Amino acid sequence: MSRGVLVVEDDLDLLGLVEMVLLDAGHAVRTASDGQRALERVAEEMPGLILLDMRMPVMNGWEFAREFRNRHGRACPIVVVTAAENAQLRAAEIEADGWLAKPFDIDDVIHMVERFVPAAGSSS
Amino acid sequence: MEHTGLAAVTKRPAPQGGPAPAVRSRWWRGPSWMAARLVAIYAVVGILWIAFSDVALELLVTDPAARDSLQTLKGGFYVLATSILLYLLVRGGQRRLVTLGTEIRAAVESMADGVLVIDSSGIVEANRAALDLLGVASKRDLLGPIEDFADRFRPRTLEGTPIPLSELPSALALHGVRATRETLLRRADGTEMVASTSAAPVVTPESSGLVIAVFRDVSAAHRLESMRDEFLATAAHELKTPLAVVKAYAQLVQRRVPAEAPALTVVQRQVDRMTRLVQHLLDASRLRLDPSSFVFERFDLAALLAELVSRQGATSPAHQIALSADGPVPVRGDRDRIARVISSLLDNAVRFSPQGGPVKARVARSGGEVEVSVADEGLGIPADRQDRVFERYYRAHAGTPDDYGGLGLSLELSREIVVRHGGRMWFESASGQGSTFHFSLPAAAEET
Repeated sequence: MSRGVLVVEDDLDLLGLVEMVLLDAGHAVRTASDGQRALERVAEEMPGLILLDMRMPVMNGWEFAREFRNRHGRACPIVVVTAAENAQLRAAEIEADGWLAKPFDIDDVIHMVERFVPAAGSSS
Repeated sequence: MEHTGLAAVTKRPAPQGGPAPAVRSRWWRGPSWMAARLVAIYAVVGILWIAFSDVALELLVTDPAARDSLQTLKGGFYVLATSILLYLLVRGGQRRLVTLGTEIRAAVESMADGVLVIDSSGIVEANRAALDLLGVASKRDLLGPIEDFADRFRPRTLEGTPIPLSELPSALALHGVRATRETLLRRADGTEMVASTSAAPVVTPESSGLVIAVFRDVSAAHRLESMRDEFLATAAHELKTPLAVVKAYAQLVQRRVPAEAPALTVVQRQVDRMTRLVQHLLDASRLRLDPSSFVFERFDLAALLAELVSRQGATSPAHQIALSADGPVPVRGDRDRIARVISSLLDNAVRFSPQGGPVKARVARSGGEVEVSVADEGLGIPADRQDRVFERYYRAHAGTPDDYGGLGLSLELSREIVVRHGGRMWFESASGQGSTFHFSLPAAAEET
């Protein structure tokens, strides 16, 4: 079973792009546009990595991280992807496993993901 | 804890001694001069009386027995006149002192700031504003040991940690130190207030053992400050998210359609520039960089410089950017911010070499320091403008044909960032010959 990447991002353009890039790199990708939906995706199947935006409607990244840890502990690493002023501090706040500041280079996204989950597909 | 910028600016000095000099000057110049004149007149009259009254008595009264009794009467009259005069002077003085006391009391009572008078036993006096600010009904509720005050109003730091009694401004002032700090207080009705308190020992010729503490409610300023921080955080997010989307799509298309690479490089360069401007504006709109937002880590400055040089090179094809580094250069610092400093210097070097030309970036260790320098052979800064280069909003080429833009923020912020790391920033420049900007950072301790 390949444990893919769950991308949680409320900007649908960016969500679509990250999905495209990671698919290109051979990863299984699922997406969620807020924390609530992300919890549902996690409940369906535990991903290998969660790329988590922090500011989102309905349920933001902080709330998601708290809820996720309550339910699943450290079942899967979380990488914070944020446009907030200090991505590293935001990551520390939720004890995330990594961080990416927006705007990012798409290579940085791929490298970050590959630190946690190996690409399963063909074209990477 | 450091987050008190706005309040510190809006606070005016504590008004100890404010009303007193005006009252005192009236007291010395007016009535006491009259008293002095009265006493002088009395002395002159007295001397004349003593000198001539006996002679007059001898001339007017011939009977020695009658003269003796008149002498006694005269002495009695003299004592009586002196007593009356003394009485009038003392009463006048007392009345003026009472008036003075009442005026000072009324002035303190009318002050908009809360005033507490404190001695080693606790609070001994409080004005109306102090009662209102703390939400207590009567003075009786407030006077008493400082421990009671602390129990009741729970002085805390702005982060909410209780402040030990010995660190309250009034306690410091009891030891002769003037002290000012912002504290969180819980009012009698349970609401919270940010109070800015200044306490100072009351200085009298014999030490009074009294402290006067003046405090005011700065909650509104603090609310504004946190609203501003919230706004800036939102603005950062809102401005950077679309930039992130544009940049990422440009990179994606560049991968898929290599023929369009030059155009898409421009898109990315401009996105990077916009991102840097957003960051500078956000930093500049704070009164100062928030020290708690610095994240210190150990990293290789040479690797960072190499990465940034290659990025800048990729987006500035007209310039040859040379890198000189001798092996890894470990430093401890906020990597993101140091990256911004270097990017700003590289960006300036490129921007102010409009004809292209070499840019040299160099990192080297020297003693306990590491030094980064970025040299260009571009426009240079005219000598008469060099003093102001690190001023906020100053742009040395503004209004000249060589005005290649910029906000006038990056050097000021860069220097601030470097100074926060314990380093320095400086430059050499000559008009028409280019500029070299340097900064130093303390070298990281050897890894164990």
